[in-house]
Amino acid sequence: MNLALFFQQVVNGLAIGSVYAIFALGYTLIFSILGIINFAHSAIFTLGAYFTYALMGARFGFNGLLAQTALPFGLPFPLAVLGGGLLAGGMGVLVERAAFRPLRNRGADPLLMLVSSLGVAVALVNIIQYLVGAEAYSYPNALAGLPPSINLGVGGVPLIMRTVLVVIFIISMLILFALMRLMNHTKAGKALQAVAEDPVTASLLGINTDRLILLTFFISGFLGGIAGTLVGLSVTITGPYFGITFGLRGLAVLVLGGLGSIPGAVVGGLAIGIVEALVPPDLSGYKDAVAFAILLIVLFFRPQGLLGRTFIQKV
Amino acid sequence: MTTPVLDIQQLSVAYGAVQALQAVSLTVSAGEIVTLLGANGAGKSTTLRAISRIIAIQSGSLRYDGRDLSSLRPDAVVKAGIAHVPEGRRVLTRLSVEDNLRLGAYVRSDKAGIADDLERTFTQFKRLAERRKQLAGTLSGGEQQMLAIARALMSRPRLLLLDEPSLGLAPIIVREIFAIIRDLNAAGTTILLVEQNAQLALKTATRGYVLEAGSITLSGSTAELAADDRVQKAYLG
Ligand SMILES: Nc1ncnc2c1ncn2[C@@H]1O[C@H](COP(=O)(O)OP(=O)(O)O)[C@@H](O)[C@H]1O
Ligand SMILES: [Mg+2]
Repeated sequence: MNLALFFQQVVNGLAIGSVYAIFALGYTLIFSILGIINFAHSAIFTLGAYFTYALMGARFGFNGLLAQTALPFGLPFPLAVLGGGLLAGGMGVLVERAAFRPLRNRGADPLLMLVSSLGVAVALVNIIQYLVGAEAYSYPNALAGLPPSINLGVGGVPLIMRTVLVVIFIISMLILFALMRLMNHTKAGKALQAVAEDPVTASLLGINTDRLILLTFFISGFLGGIAGTLVGLSVTITGPYFGITFGLRGLAVLVLGGLGSIPGAVVGGLAIGIVEALVPPDLSGYKDAVAFAILLIVLFFRPQGLLGRTFIQKV
Repeated sequence: MTTPVLDIQQLSVAYGAVQALQAVSLTVSAGEIVTLLGANGAGKSTTLRAISRIIAIQSGSLRYDGRDLSSLRPDAVVKAGIAHVPEGRRVLTRLSVEDNLRLGAYVRSDKAGIADDLERTFTQFKRLAERRKQLAGTLSGGEQQMLAIARALMSRPRLLLLDEPSLGLAPIIVREIFAIIRDLNAAGTTILLVEQNAQLALKTATRGYVLEAGSITLSGSTAELAADDRVQKAYLG
């Protein structure tokens, strides 16, 4: 691999890695607050991709209840992404109300919530299939008006990037930036951190923990929906199971970065994105294994993940 | 006698099979410092947790300012004017001193008032001012206790619940903290003080209750309690 190609692959990896990061942050936020993995997150990722598709006014295919239907209006892609994210956030809220809160209020074992979220994931995937069939969809003319590739090279060294990857990277970074602002510079963000560290003390300060948990699920769903749309943009929406393999990779990022660590999810996402991009083309069939190979190696040396805290027993 | 601000009648609380409180009745009137004494495990913290609504109550009534607390969520209790400094301080270790204080004012929305109170806190608690941007987890035990009290005050409570503010602190720090408690009370804050250090509690409070195995066994003015044989033997001996 020559140096120019190497750089190109690193930059490609950064773009995909940034999507891994925002997707994994959806797991991370919920984990940091409730200490559980929300398996429904990968289904929300898929839903977000379809929401955006529908909001663009695109028509569904030949199978399913919604066959050959389309919304009477179509939003331009940037607005549709935002709308898809917001709707996915709303789904996150529904998942919390339906699958998590009732169990939490009964003081159920966290393992039950995990199983419950897995049930929601399966149900959502089936509902998608029922509604729009198993066909692949791609966003019609999403980036119309932009050239297919952009040269980001400096001087005489070309660095040709697919435009779609540049767009993905920019959107992911904007979302990351907004999330950091929210967490570190707003009252709600500080309150979220308080609930994550010690929910009882947070209640004693007058924080309505249920409302903040709901907010967390909304943000998580929003991140998942945006990530789903961006991946759908870069490849296609491959069908109702779109989010499942991606979901596994998101879990790898979550564990690699350190469970519940926000900077960890970002670093882990970018790292896995870059390493995958550097897998030589003749080995690309093993790409999916790469994330997990990295994960196993890192966990061997750092069981708490790259930026995770060692767990301190709460009394 | 004036009507009490806090009026607890026949309160019972259980943790699963453990009956922690059994028909506890106590009152606190405006302007008082009332202390709740008792051995480890008597149910003192449980009483405060019940008032703050962070644990479920089995039966009994909890009234504050004529309002029924039993149907409120914990955040509504804070909004109603009650602040609780829990046992073991419980500062938010991963947030800065200033963020801890700001979260103390979470239920308020008067920005200017909050900013004023923050500055006043930093003038009153010099050591917190010096450590304003430091993570709360890096503070010493005494500093954390000051922060926990200062944070509770940021909600401008009318009733302050203090759970063992002297626990594990050096005598000089304990004196400092009790001086703060007396000042707060002089400035009009009503206080319900849980303490294992009975001597100190009886010196600070106006009235007291003795809790044994989940039931109130004695109550009266602090002078009466200090003179009582049983209190002498069990808590002042
Ligand atoms: N979370 C809990 N789960 C089960 N039992 C508890 C819990 N907290 C307190 N208890 C029990 O309730 C009783 C009262 O405890 P507590 O109110 O903490 O006492 P105190 O504050 O007077 O030391 C004790 O018997 C204690 O063991
Ligand atoms: Mg106690």
